[in-house]
Amino acid sequence: MKLKIVFILLACIGISAVYAKKIDVVTTTTDLKSITEFIGGDKVDVSSIATGYQNPHFVDPKPSYIIKLSKADMFVTVGLDLETGWSPQLLSSSRNLKIQKGSNGYVDASVGVTLLQVPSTINRGEGDIHIFGNPHYWLDPINGKQVAKNICDGLEKISPENKAFFEANLKTFDDKIDLKLKEWTMKMAPYKGLKIVAYHNEWCYFEQRFGLVIVDFLEPKPGIPPTPTQLVKIISEVKSNAIKVIISSPYFTTSSSEVVSKQTGAKTIVLGTSVGAFDNIKDYFDLFDYDIDKLIQGLE
Amino acid sequence: MYCFIRTAVMAALFLSVSVIASSQNDSIAKADSGLLKQIEQQLNSKETSPATVQVRTAPSTLPDISVIGDFQASYRNNVKRNFDAGINEAELSFQSVVDPYARADFFFTLARDPVTGKFSEDLEEGYITTLSLPFHLQLKAGKFKSAMGRINPVHPHALPFISLPTAYENYFGEGINDEGVSLSWLVPNSLFYQELVVQVTDGPIDNPSFSRSVGNTYLKLAHLKNFFDLSANATLELGFSGVTGANSYDFRTNIAAMDLTYKWKPVQFNTYKSFTWQTEAYFSNADTSKNRAVNSFGMYSFINFQFSKRLFFTGMYNYSNKPFSASIKENSYSATIGWYATEFQKIEIEGKTTSSNIEKEQNQVLLRWIFVIGTHGAHQY
Repeated sequence: MKLKIVFILLACIGISAVYAKKIDVVTTTTDLKSITEFIGGDKVDVSSIATGYQNPHFVDPKPSYIIKLSKADMFVTVGLDLETGWSPQLLSSSRNLKIQKGSNGYVDASVGVTLLQVPSTINRGEGDIHIFGNPHYWLDPINGKQVAKNICDGLEKISPENKAFFEANLKTFDDKIDLKLKEWTMKMAPYKGLKIVAYHNEWCYFEQRFGLVIVDFLEPKPGIPPTPTQLVKIISEVKSNAIKVIISSPYFTTSSSEVVSKQTGAKTIVLGTSVGAFDNIKDYFDLFDYDIDKLIQGLE
Repeated sequence: MYCFIRTAVMAALFLSVSVIASSQNDSIAKADSGLLKQIEQQLNSKETSPATVQVRTAPSTLPDISVIGDFQASYRNNVKRNFDAGINEAELSFQSVVDPYARADFFFTLARDPVTGKFSEDLEEGYITTLSLPFHLQLKAGKFKSAMGRINPVHPHALPFISLPTAYENYFGEGINDEGVSLSWLVPNSLFYQELVVQVTDGPIDNPSFSRSVGNTYLKLAHLKNFFDLSANATLELGFSGVTGANSYDFRTNIAAMDLTYKWKPVQFNTYKSFTWQTEAYFSNADTSKNRAVNSFGMYSFINFQFSKRLFFTGMYNYSNKPFSASIKENSYSATIGWYATEFQKIEIEGKTTSSNIEKEQNQVLLRWIFVIGTHGAHQY
């Protein structure tokens, strides 16, 4: 009987030890969570602060997030000031030195990404301009590979004994991106050069990768809600360019784009900007599967 | 022979990849080989070419700097000067990490004297906060807004109304903003967020309830914050505060306070609609002599509706005694409409009426225009 109890206790300690070995990662967005799960596999326990259907610029810094951050071994951020309105406050309240900027557990996923729309001058009169460049870079799957590399580097710093495991997962992830990119590019090939309109300036990386041309935005300036003057301009542009589609995101209301749709016949399509935007976008690959299929459906 | 086998293996691999790929989607099966080659070339060139180093904004050790302008215009009845307008306050902030172990925040204010119209400078807050103490502790030292309830820690420009709640003003004036040390502990509670803050400060100079003692009586404050996620869209905060310190009678005032805040903000459309209900109550026990103590009470409650991305409404009710007179009873009602152009600019207009059992009814209409230049840190949730 005593032996049985000792065995159960040892088993419990063993289970706890295995559990304790998992690297606790907090990411700002669900895309980073998905990629971290691909690279970290069963060695990581990942949670995301923002949901996939939420505007990542405007996340409310709820104190409950501090609990997660206080225990985290690693923090992964999109960077480029995307989360500037909420993540610095949460980080400094976390009392966790491991994940502060400059520490091994702080991973800026944007490092090494070739950025688009880097402004030469900064002026808030132009709206919500990001001083480092457009931060929606994860919407190009090639940039997903760089993000995965940054996450892999971060995990290796924290758990060097699992270096080979993480790198093998990175290779698998990269190979899958290459394979899927061929599929996505082939699907989008007939629509190369196609002109569309978007609600907010967050699609430039997707646009460049898949050869679309975004003619204009419903927002007159980034972050400024559509105005009647802007909508009149958009209606004229949609008509003159025979634009068939207006793309938007789950966290914007579609009332403005529906006005344009009614006037022009162009369809409003809500695409996912992040994993979890819709129920069937469960990981980073699903995101492009969903967006590309949805876009093609809209165009056909 | 070896070459033949290698070619065969390569061909088999290529075929199998093609088969896998073709099974994934019909469109790939129809793909022309020229386009596939082009894609492969693109992928390969990305992998083999040396990484291009893109110049990012030059690194800087300068702190985040911002200036907040607060223009106000007002009409008040039952006063000598009914109309007034001008820059009420300009706040200059500097915020940055000091090193890997601490951050520092400074807020200077240039406030306008409504009588003389002259501006006087003051250090509103200036403190260092540790980032790395063990046991989830955080130490703050300097001059700071005390962790008393929900209104006191917030800078007025970030509040969704213009005039401070009557009950709060009656007990704390413009707030407890004092020099000393603050230790906060993140309670290891995995069910909900709990934070205990203990502060010892010199004691405020101009405050209805407290005075700075010339002796060894310091202002001591404790605040327990409990924060619950009711759902993805709704939260509840329940706080308890206790503060004790010297008063203007050279005796002691003790104040116990409770705050309750319910917030509803749909995660998906959090920039378009929200609702907040916030209530705070103050229970004061002030000794005015060895044999006399005054027990008094004050409370406010407000609701804040966000109707659209830019339009907000706040309605507030106050009931309050005064710290040294429980017989004074004041009631006030206010309504504020706010138009938020962007995160950097808002205009609010407020009507407020205050009645009391000792004074004539006072009515006021206020207009406030807040504008920010530079980089200003986020405010607490």
